[in-house]
Amino acid sequence: MEKFLDFIVRAGSLDRRYIFVVIALVVLLPLFFPLGLPIRPTIASQKVYDVVEELNAGDKALVSFEYGPSTKPEIHPMAVALLRHLFEKDVKVYITCLWPDGQFMAMEALEQVAEDQYNKVYGEDYVLLGFRPGNEAVIKGLVSNLRKVFTVDANGNFLDDIPMMTGINQVADFDYLFSASAGYPGTVEWVQYAADPVGITMSTGTTSIQVNEVMPYVQSGQIKGILGGMPGAAEYESLIGQAGIGTSGMDAQSVAHVVIVAFIIFGNISFFVERRRSKKY
Amino acid sequence: MNGSEIFGAWVAVFLTLGIFSYLYKDNPFYKIAEHVFVGVSAGYWMSMFFWTQIQPNLFGRLWPTPDGAIAGFFMKIWYGIYNLFGFILPSVFPDGGIDKGHGNHPHFLYIIPFVLGIMMLLSVSSKFSWMARLGIAYTVGMAAGLRAYAFLNSNVLGQIKGTAVSFVDMPFFSLTGVSVFNNLIILVGTITGLLYFYFSKEHKGNFGKVTRVGIYFLMISFGASFGFAVMGRISLLIGRFTDLITYGSSTYNYASLWVLLLMIGLLAVWTFKGNKEVAS
Repeated sequence: MEKFLDFIVRAGSLDRRYIFVVIALVVLLPLFFPLGLPIRPTIASQKVYDVVEELNAGDKALVSFEYGPSTKPEIHPMAVALLRHLFEKDVKVYITCLWPDGQFMAMEALEQVAEDQYNKVYGEDYVLLGFRPGNEAVIKGLVSNLRKVFTVDANGNFLDDIPMMTGINQVADFDYLFSASAGYPGTVEWVQYAADPVGITMSTGTTSIQVNEVMPYVQSGQIKGILGGMPGAAEYESLIGQAGIGTSGMDAQSVAHVVIVAFIIFGNISFFVERRRSKKY
Repeated sequence: MNGSEIFGAWVAVFLTLGIFSYLYKDNPFYKIAEHVFVGVSAGYWMSMFFWTQIQPNLFGRLWPTPDGAIAGFFMKIWYGIYNLFGFILPSVFPDGGIDKGHGNHPHFLYIIPFVLGIMMLLSVSSKFSWMARLGIAYTVGMAAGLRAYAFLNSNVLGQIKGTAVSFVDMPFFSLTGVSVFNNLIILVGTITGLLYFYFSKEHKGNFGKVTRVGIYFLMISFGASFGFAVMGRISLLIGRFTDLITYGSSTYNYASLWVLLLMIGLLAVWTFKGNKEVAS
């Protein structure tokens, strides 16, 4: 027993680089050899799906891209899945970006979904309004007069020349709002400056780390559903029946979590054993 | 796959592995990747802000394409200034005004943000840095005013409404939906959590016991935050690994493999040399 406790204490002071190697392996291996673990949608993800399901063909959805390459693995899969769902239902999609990199993320997602998968027509089925700096001031501007914030789209076309922009002058003219957000400005600002004052139905997709911050808005009904990080994306992919990047990453995610939990338990045992010994002597 | 895409993949692989190499220890690859990231980010943001906001929305409003010939003494001077700028920077100030859909008449009100912006830039000068305070004061004041109402409406009133839960016409217990039990947790968690931050009374006796419950709720919340943080970081790692696997294919000339081997080899030499120097 004493030998075993010695081993635990020694393992507790293991060089952290070995832990990095173990984590790298448990993330890498499931990517090469998928396990096909089941994905069950949470209530929050289901709510996003239900809200989009209630939209009719021709309804207008404002989708805001507030993430960049650094958070792409978490947010991009859900943005792609949501666009698939919206285009499947023939909803008209309007895209804004509060982050400069968001514009490139939106372009990539639109190329993949709107152009290659659904053959949608730019200006009639979807429009990329682009990025405007100003954080919450931009949202406030969109709520009061969208035409003042955007006179041209991301490609330099005048909004007056884009057919699907007819009758769109403010946030209240949209039927649905989705914020794909990785931080500030993002979901919280959309709730504060658009969803709450205007009363527009809003859902969101956020990074995992933001979920705790945004969840109170979901609980209070200010936001209708949330997709939390890569698992949220995988759940949405399973709901729309189109597996994507989110689903393929979930095996690695699950295995890595199990190993990390094991490390935490082991680290705690080691800590308590060491503390007991130091008290003893 | 064209040459530039393959080159881009090689650069991405080098930068990714360069950043990962810090997990071994601080080294020249990490330093290169770090400096490239900071430099490119700063340049990219500046360029993006200028071409999406300052040029079209500020200069575009100050000097829009005029409707016909420029008439009037003042307007001739105004567009004379524009032409002078155009002579120096023709790509920013093209011939005949900036046409970005802001009408045909200058919006002179936008001179105020233009001047405030210049004032903020003066913070680099020790003599005129005091002027930057005016620009900053405006920004802070505007943000405070803009946020006050939004916070009150969404974070105070909205959240109070959210915690005003009902206890009738619902099942006692449900894992997936609204229930008396879940609402009870919301109620107790909110009240005890708030009481924990009430410092005008010492946390002793019954009051201490209640605030202790508040601490437990806070601990659970922090634990959930930690769990989500781990989940987020693993997702990012999966994203990088997925890209490295893609770039390790024959389409990209096995970029991941070659860069990894080269980096390990050079790091080994660098460490070996370093150890020898320390020993000597």
